[in-house]
Amino acid sequence: MAYDLQLKNVGKVYDNGTPAVIDFNLDVEKGEFIAFLGPSGCGKSTTLRMISGFESVTTGDLLIRGQRVNDQPPEKRPTSMIFQNYALFPHMNVRQNVRFGLEVKGLPRDEADRKVDGILDKLGLLDISEMPTGRLSGGQRQRIALARSLVVEPDILLLDEPLGALDANLRKSIQNELKLLQRELGITFVFVTHAQSEALALSDRIIVMNAGRIEQISPPRELYTRPQSAFVARFIGSNTIIPGTVVTTAGQTITLDTPFGAISGTNRIDIAHTKGERMSIVLPAEAVELIPGETDESELRGRFGSNVIPCKIERLQVIGHIMQMLVRLENGDTINTEGHVDKYRGRLTVGAPAYVAWLPGGATMIA
Amino acid sequence: MDSKLLKPVLAVYVAAFILFLYGPFIVLGILSFQQGPEGGPQFPIIEWSTYWYRHLFGLTPPSRIAPLPVGEALLRSLTLAFMTMVTATVLGVMAAQAFRRRFKGAGIVFYLIVLGMMVPGVLTGLGTSLLANNVVGVERHWWTTAFVAHVVYTFPFAFLVMLAILNRFDGSVEEAAWSLGVSPARTFRKVTFPLIFPGVLSAMLFAFTLSFDEFPRTLFASGRDQTLPLAIYGTFSVEIHPNIFAFGVMTTLFSFSLLAIYGILMGLSVRRAKKIAMQEDIS
Ligand SMILES: Nc1ncnc2c1ncn2[C@@H]1O[C@H](COP(=O)(O)OP(=O)(O)OP(=O)(O)O)[C@@H](O)[C@H]1O
Ligand SMILES: [Mg+2]
Repeated sequence: MAYDLQLKNVGKVYDNGTPAVIDFNLDVEKGEFIAFLGPSGCGKSTTLRMISGFESVTTGDLLIRGQRVNDQPPEKRPTSMIFQNYALFPHMNVRQNVRFGLEVKGLPRDEADRKVDGILDKLGLLDISEMPTGRLSGGQRQRIALARSLVVEPDILLLDEPLGALDANLRKSIQNELKLLQRELGITFVFVTHAQSEALALSDRIIVMNAGRIEQISPPRELYTRPQSAFVARFIGSNTIIPGTVVTTAGQTITLDTPFGAISGTNRIDIAHTKGERMSIVLPAEAVELIPGETDESELRGRFGSNVIPCKIERLQVIGHIMQMLVRLENGDTINTEGHVDKYRGRLTVGAPAYVAWLPGGATMIA
Repeated sequence: MDSKLLKPVLAVYVAAFILFLYGPFIVLGILSFQQGPEGGPQFPIIEWSTYWYRHLFGLTPPSRIAPLPVGEALLRSLTLAFMTMVTATVLGVMAAQAFRRRFKGAGIVFYLIVLGMMVPGVLTGLGTSLLANNVVGVERHWWTTAFVAHVVYTFPFAFLVMLAILNRFDGSVEEAAWSLGVSPARTFRKVTFPLIFPGVLSAMLFAFTLSFDEFPRTLFASGRDQTLPLAIYGTFSVEIHPNIFAFGVMTTLFSFSLLAIYGILMGLSVRRAKKIAMQEDIS
């Protein structure tokens, strides 16, 4: 099948020798909402700018709808970009901004007018269409940028941290709008962010990047439940990583020998392994239970097998109906965990000994 | 204690500054209303009159004092300044635009351009005329050799002004236009140029005024027909009458009106620039 966007072994080395993107492979289907997620400087913007044509591709091939576009200038590509600072034309009013891209398309006048009015209406900008853009709010200007890009009907919309400059409430509401709009138009969106929540809420697939490379490509949920590397496990959610060596394997459950004894997790991504090899267990905060120290340890071992580690409670914090707990293990490591307030209230005290415990199904193995 | 001393010192300094800046002009202005045709270029004013202004425009009965031979020179200088302004500004904008991308030898090219305003004018003028006469073999005119010398001199100013402007220019609006499918040429005309226009105005003003009263380069490079500064200097060496002062007042007024036009155009585009600034504030 033909993909809307394909990157094949794409690499970018800047003139000053900085390798910004390394061996990037990605196939995007029409209508997908893709998010690039990663720490600052990992090459998200660079990748997006290569897709849009603002930066040249150093190695590899870039295909849009099956056609190699490496050498096409940005104005020839069926892509459109939304910038973090909106990049509106300050010397034009709202309508002129939106109309600008249509003027070179050779459309009849009234058809262009109809399209501009249509998109202004869809984004709720008709009332302010004759205003200069300078005095408008961030949210309004964000919508103008969207309207300006969408009116030229691109195949792929590229968004570089488009919500970065907005306050939290506005960000939420524009997120929803964006998702609805994308569903309705069926346009492929490639969205850059370093806010996890944004990527998780919006996208069909998340590409986690680190130091120029792809770490993992997964739907949002899987990123939580099946991190494939220590980097992703640290970057996404709030996980604890415990390294050790393989002792036994029983089906998908692997038991490791660790400083906390033999503990086990599930080998979800079928990593090949042998006895004595080093692996790690990823322990998501949601999977960990905190149990008061008075509880009988043998009873616990009945429930959780060997996945019980003694600890000391360092901090308890209630946020809404969630209790966030920080505990310190004997070797000094800390573990974050959380649970419903009702389950824990009154049973835990700061400074008291306790146990952390988990079911093997809740923890994931990584190489 | 410091500031107690500082204030009067600053006041004196400013007063001296203003005195030296406007003093000559005020003296000139007063003396231009000297009685004519017998009144000389010095105090006291025998009787206030506008004789020398009328003399300038040939409205006085013929007298011993010949009218200033500046009519044609003025026209020449205005034309030359205009040609220089257009050429230097176009070159300046293009060169500064080229410098937005780092290219091989950018440093050397930069210094070669800027050299044009550093080299002593007499040298440039002399060199240009020697080159024209002995090497290339073209006749020297204000509109050939002097024009080239003026462009070499003013182009670096226009270039530096535009470089500063483009340095602060946020290229993402251009990228936004390209990504909408608008060609780079059209993007430059419709987006970049309108936004850098205040800078272009400044570059034009620089080039025009520098060329208009340029002396050392023109002296050697202009050939037979003189520009205004040369013509005025020529009259000094004979005999000075208050008609030169009247002419000075007229040219100063002309400069002010040039500045006023610049100010008005600038005001219009600054209003737009404020909008940009506001936009940046919010984002
Ligand atoms: N024009 C450039 N010339 C040289 N190096 C560059 C250039 N632009 C970016 N880089 C470098 O390339 C790397 C990737 O940068 P990029 O802007 O793609 O990161 P990013 O993931 O978008 O980061 P952020 O989240 O901070 O926007 C960084 O090390 C950066 O310093
Ligand atoms: Mg970026």
